[in-house]
Amino acid sequence: MIEVIQISRGGSGGVTGAKILAEAAIMYEGLYAQAIPKYGSERRGAAVLAYVRFDNKPIRIHSPVYEANHALVLDLSLLDRIDISTVDKEGTIVVNSKEVPESLKNSGRKVAYVDATGISQELGLVLSGFTLVNMTMLGAFVKGTNIVSIDNLEKAIVSFWGEKRAPKNVAAALQAYEETKVVIA
Amino acid sequence: MVVKHNKKSMTGNDAAAFAALYAQPKVISAYPITPQTTIIEKLSQYVDDGLLDAEFIIVESEHSALAGCMGAAWSGVRTFTATSSQGLLYMAENVFWSGYGRLPIVMPVVNRCLAPGWSIYQDLQDSMAFRDAGWIQIYTKNNQEVFDSVLQGFRIAEDKNIALPYMPCLDGFVISHTTAQVDLPSAEDSFNFVGEYSDPVIEVNTEKPWIFGGLVGPEKFIKDRTDLMEAMERAKKKIVDMNKEFGEYFGRTYGNGLIEIYGDDVADLTIVSMGTIADEAQDAVDVLKEEGLSVNEMRVRTFRPFPEEDIVEFAKKNHKLLVIDRSVSFGHAGQLRIEIEAVLHRNNVDTPVEGRIMGLGGEDVPFTKIVAAAKDALRSKM
Repeated sequence: MIEVIQISRGGSGGVTGAKILAEAAIMYEGLYAQAIPKYGSERRGAAVLAYVRFDNKPIRIHSPVYEANHALVLDLSLLDRIDISTVDKEGTIVVNSKEVPESLKNSGRKVAYVDATGISQELGLVLSGFTLVNMTMLGAFVKGTNIVSIDNLEKAIVSFWGEKRAPKNVAAALQAYEETKVVIA
Repeated sequence: MVVKHNKKSMTGNDAAAFAALYAQPKVISAYPITPQTTIIEKLSQYVDDGLLDAEFIIVESEHSALAGCMGAAWSGVRTFTATSSQGLLYMAENVFWSGYGRLPIVMPVVNRCLAPGWSIYQDLQDSMAFRDAGWIQIYTKNNQEVFDSVLQGFRIAEDKNIALPYMPCLDGFVISHTTAQVDLPSAEDSFNFVGEYSDPVIEVNTEKPWIFGGLVGPEKFIKDRTDLMEAMERAKKKIVDMNKEFGEYFGRTYGNGLIEIYGDDVADLTIVSMGTIADEAQDAVDVLKEEGLSVNEMRVRTFRPFPEEDIVEFAKKNHKLLVIDRSVSFGHAGQLRIEIEAVLHRNNVDTPVEGRIMGLGGEDVPFTKIVAAAKDALRSKM
């Protein structure tokens, strides 16, 4: 089983992103998957957690992810909200950042980083003042891990958003996939 | 022959809404409450999109929501609603009225704890408070079972020989808002299984007027209650038969419909629970077995009617039960434990029972906690 912890800010689309990631795995990758949003009294701007699981057999676990294989951080300022020591040493920290974040430098951790905010804003993925980085960061996640292919992610995005609304979202994921740098920090 | 399915990815609430859509109720009367809201949002969208030819009654409260369903049920049409927590409490008078009035209403309860303290997370306190309301209660373990159980519910509730309202329960958020795989049959195959509600258990007929809910003396009253007890007893067989028939048609069954056993037939310890805890407990059983410990699991799927015979038969050959409750009867113990102890005692079975209350107010119950609880139970001598 592969487990992912995701942190985002309410309004940036994190919960929807986790759902689409699970859909890509279930519908197109032939995996079993689960996306668990951690709801609370969160409002726009607050930190929101979500968990994604992948397995090649049905998943019977329903509790949150405690020891993730990978971390997906949609907002750089939330990186310190995740206890990176609980994330698998071999796993990837996927983060919305123009460079390797300061706290991860010389950590020996595998880091996948991309300026998702920049890409999304360039594409006009902004809603009510919030930059939607969810699809962008899924592109980065696909590049930094080896679970869902970029083709299958694209299919899931198109299926979820429909032909009319998909193009910008697909473009965001594809551009991030191209621009994401994967390094050992 | 098993019908074709399409692999889908959806939340537990979506699964409930799909099953309701496919059963084509004529009346939906509902009021939103977290975490049930997305079920009725989806259904109102289906009605608006013309996919579902139903009267969608938007009401001002849960009490009225169920009242709308009761009126519809009396008029002999298929009806559906859903609720949670405080909403279910607000509905209370009509919950009992529809149970004791034998109205075949299907109403998923998305389990959420009761206030205070104010919380939106899952435990079973809400539906457990209605165990005596004359409703069939099914506790589901995952998104697939939600779809399957809602679909089966119409067949069970609308059987003239049963005529009982049906409450499939699903853990809030853990099922309701979690996306997972659901193998979805076609709308046509689903409706073929459920069938038209053509022979209503009760119906307003202006040619033959009669009184609903009129004043009765003890004799008639006691006959009604006795009938209800007998209907509940018949519902056990109906649930077993439906589980079997569903399996033949769709290729999935859940134990015998009443209880589901996981692991060896006989073990030193049997973990007993309901809902998602019971699903996660299967992982706990695997971990414990790998460590060389003898543990199996019994999931109680049907809580009303209570599967006395099945529970007793399994408990009799096992050595100790650890019952995990996600709700409490204050002043006594967890409801599942209370009822299991009662049926064991009634049947002269002396298998010891230990109880644990876990997961109240949305507390996480990962399999590691279940493993630890099982080890404690194996160590303690009683």
